[in-house]
Amino acid sequence: MAALNPTDIINAGEHVFIKMPSDNVKCIVLKAGSSVSLGKFGTFKANDIIGHAWGNSYEIYDRDSKTRVYHPEGISEVEETANNNREIVDDPTSQKLTLDDIKALKSEGLKGELTGEEIVNKLKESHATFDKKTAYSQAKYLQKKGKKFHKVFTPIKPTAYSVNEYFYVKNPSKIRDIRMDTLSQLLSYSNVHSGCKLLVVDDTQGMIVSALAERMGGKGTILGLYDGDNPHYDIVKYMNFNQEILDTIKVLSWLRIHRPTDEKTPDEMQDVTQLTGKDLEGYHRRLKAYNIVEESRKTLFEGNFDALIVASQYQPESILEKLLPYVAGSRPVIVYHGTKEALLETSTWMRRCPNLLAPQLTESWLRKSQVLPGRTHPEMSTWGTGGSLLTATKVIDQPVQAALTKRERLAMEKKNAEAKRLKRAREEAESAASSPAPAPAAASVEDVADEAVGGKEEGSASTTVMDDGDESRSIKRAKQE
Amino acid sequence: MSETAVEKQSFATYKKNNTIEDGDNVVMYLSRENMSIIRVKDGEYFNCKFGSYKHSDMIGLEYGTKLGSNTGRGFLYLLYPTPELWTLVLPHRTQILYIADISFVMNYLNLKPGMSMIESGTGSGSFSHSIARTLAPHGHLYTFEYHQERVNAAKKEFEEHGLSDMVTLRCRDVCKDGFDLEDEVDAIFLDLPAPWEAVASAKKAFKQNKVGKICTFSPCIEQISRTVTALNEHGFVDIQMYECLIRFNEIRVIPMWTIDEAMEKQRAVEKKRKRATPRVVRDDNSSTQDDENSSSSGHINKSVKMEPSVDDSNQSSAAATPSSTTGSEMEDSVSTTTSTPVIGSEATTPAETTASASAAVAEPRERIEPKNVVVTRLPAEQRGHTSYLMFATFTPATQGPSLTEIKAAAAAATATMEK
Repeated sequence: MAALNPTDIINAGEHVFIKMPSDNVKCIVLKAGSSVSLGKFGTFKANDIIGHAWGNSYEIYDRDSKTRVYHPEGISEVEETANNNREIVDDPTSQKLTLDDIKALKSEGLKGELTGEEIVNKLKESHATFDKKTAYSQAKYLQKKGKKFHKVFTPIKPTAYSVNEYFYVKNPSKIRDIRMDTLSQLLSYSNVHSGCKLLVVDDTQGMIVSALAERMGGKGTILGLYDGDNPHYDIVKYMNFNQEILDTIKVLSWLRIHRPTDEKTPDEMQDVTQLTGKDLEGYHRRLKAYNIVEESRKTLFEGNFDALIVASQYQPESILEKLLPYVAGSRPVIVYHGTKEALLETSTWMRRCPNLLAPQLTESWLRKSQVLPGRTHPEMSTWGTGGSLLTATKVIDQPVQAALTKRERLAMEKKNAEAKRLKRAREEAESAASSPAPAPAAASVEDVADEAVGGKEEGSASTTVMDDGDESRSIKRAKQE
Repeated sequence: MSETAVEKQSFATYKKNNTIEDGDNVVMYLSRENMSIIRVKDGEYFNCKFGSYKHSDMIGLEYGTKLGSNTGRGFLYLLYPTPELWTLVLPHRTQILYIADISFVMNYLNLKPGMSMIESGTGSGSFSHSIARTLAPHGHLYTFEYHQERVNAAKKEFEEHGLSDMVTLRCRDVCKDGFDLEDEVDAIFLDLPAPWEAVASAKKAFKQNKVGKICTFSPCIEQISRTVTALNEHGFVDIQMYECLIRFNEIRVIPMWTIDEAMEKQRAVEKKRKRATPRVVRDDNSSTQDDENSSSSGHINKSVKMEPSVDDSNQSSAAATPSSTTGSEMEDSVSTTTSTPVIGSEATTPAETTASASAAVAEPRERIEPKNVVVTRLPAEQRGHTSYLMFATFTPATQGPSLTEIKAAAAAATATMEK
């Protein structure tokens, strides 16, 4: 058996997502020795799952909230029957059990005297027209009732994906609507990997920082710039990161980027040798805080960041303007926003910025399907927005220096000009002999503009006139003649 | 190969000095549609439509630098090869995975440094590079391909891209012969014509005492239903299916006149025409007189009919536009702005483009500046489907016998009962 990492098993004191039969997900902190209530689905003991590997489902099976590993039966094929819904009429009396009967079944279930499956079976048996339903309808009925009466739960390990999904479903505005697919693309575009150095402005409650930190696995640095009193990286705590990974996340307040001139170091404020007791403790606390800020500043000013990722409520270009100088060459710059419209001005700004290459505005589309043998189709309801990404590459703009030396280039230009003059003189002599067709001087500029697609540099393009342009004109003229 | 290189380049990470050295792979960026990858070698040239570039000029430059061609007419950007860029420049030997699917699969499978993973088939190695980057430096990718030539090509690429230490490439038909791995990997990705044939072997390859995730990538729904059955029979749970696409927006700046501005424009035009009218009337009179002299009513009508065309030619030569063409003039300037591929044309700002366009048709003092609106537009042709991404979870060893095993046991039990 392969050796297990601590992250492969469910540990006490960690965040755990519990998926319930209704497909709802509940987030808990797993305390050793505690009981966890899942409402109508019963209660289980935390110790029953602590120390187990992730990935199994558990069934609550008796009155003492005992649990056992649940083996799902697997999805069964639906066998086509001759049934159809011609005979089915909307009749509330087709279920012979009364509401009270069902309530009684439920309470028996909660006491552990009946399993979820048994309850569902009872419902099925007392359903007058169940046998008349189509096979698909029967399967759907059982699934629907199962979601109500089964007592199976699945602990889900918090990962960037599962945490993202949990919050996207529960409270998308908390994470500024960033969806799993959009986040995955952000991770790809950012080229995040073990050991890289990232500059991040994250207003998604730390969703982006969490995903980046997970991909770095404890090596490298994330510097997060924040406004307000504290960085709000609430999501990070759900990820069960070890200290090594937590240490890769550094923060710096926008207000502290530049040290105010009147700010004193703790040593300047107080003479440490004179301090005792509480004052000394305070001094050490201040010194620690001061050093953290100093270190973050140093990290920022050293620059050479491997990516700049901005997901802020503030105007993106105002942030990019300030932070772009700290990004190394050939590195991605990514802006996330919940709405595409908020990025439109930024994208035109990016286009004008000589240090950014090929800005690209993307949206992602994600569709989930129900997969059951013979019953596979896209789900009836789907997600709305998942946010937009604006990506570009930081480049080093410099005046284009031709690979030829200046003297070589001048010589070449002179040669070209000479050839052109000779040609023109010859042509003029010819045209004067036949018909007077004035050569439009502006035409050459057009020809050059056509050619210089890859070279956007103005001026440089018009210095040399292409030979083929001249040729085509002379051919045209020849035709006229 | 790269003996002279101070720091060996790898697609899985950046170089510390971020400097181009002899033996490095560098992406030549000319435009979004025109990129290629070269291996820098002193003494060689990179030639393209806009000129030629000496490799020796690139050595020592920082990645991301803009480099001019020998003529000074064109230029390109020297980019660091990342897995994402590799996907855009690689030589296609098969159909490849693109960023939408690559990203989503990696996120769902929860790939991170230190993991080990199976990929089959290797194909053109598009996804392999992204996986290797994400698992680096201590993780491992086992990648399988049954086509010998593709194996050879991919092997060379992994070596040249500094990934061979963490990638094991095998030429093997996994559907027939299995992966030959047991209790080894955390995640499995199957891009095979018949993924269901590899499911049994995949189950063995997972680390048996922990949770694992598998993804199959199939373009057809028929393949999906067969794979579901196989996964189900082998005890995989939480089977889910997704499709993911990226929409690339075109960004444009379009002018938006208010109706009042448009009317004002039209009024100006009409005013101008009125100014021109007396001359026309005079012309008219003179011609009528001429016609009267010839005393032919038919002629009068004819000359009256002729007027507008004379009028038109006069006015257009005087650069004044009649009201009937105002609409088209506006349309013209709209379409010039719209049709300008704003992407990449950093030299002219959208505002300038509009200004010059409207300046060309109206006199400066009459010009009305419209409000510019930035809009997005999806290209008419879009990718509509790549493949279905089907995911399933392998549950750890504490699990009981799988469905097939239970069925087999039940069948055996009934068999003994019958005896």
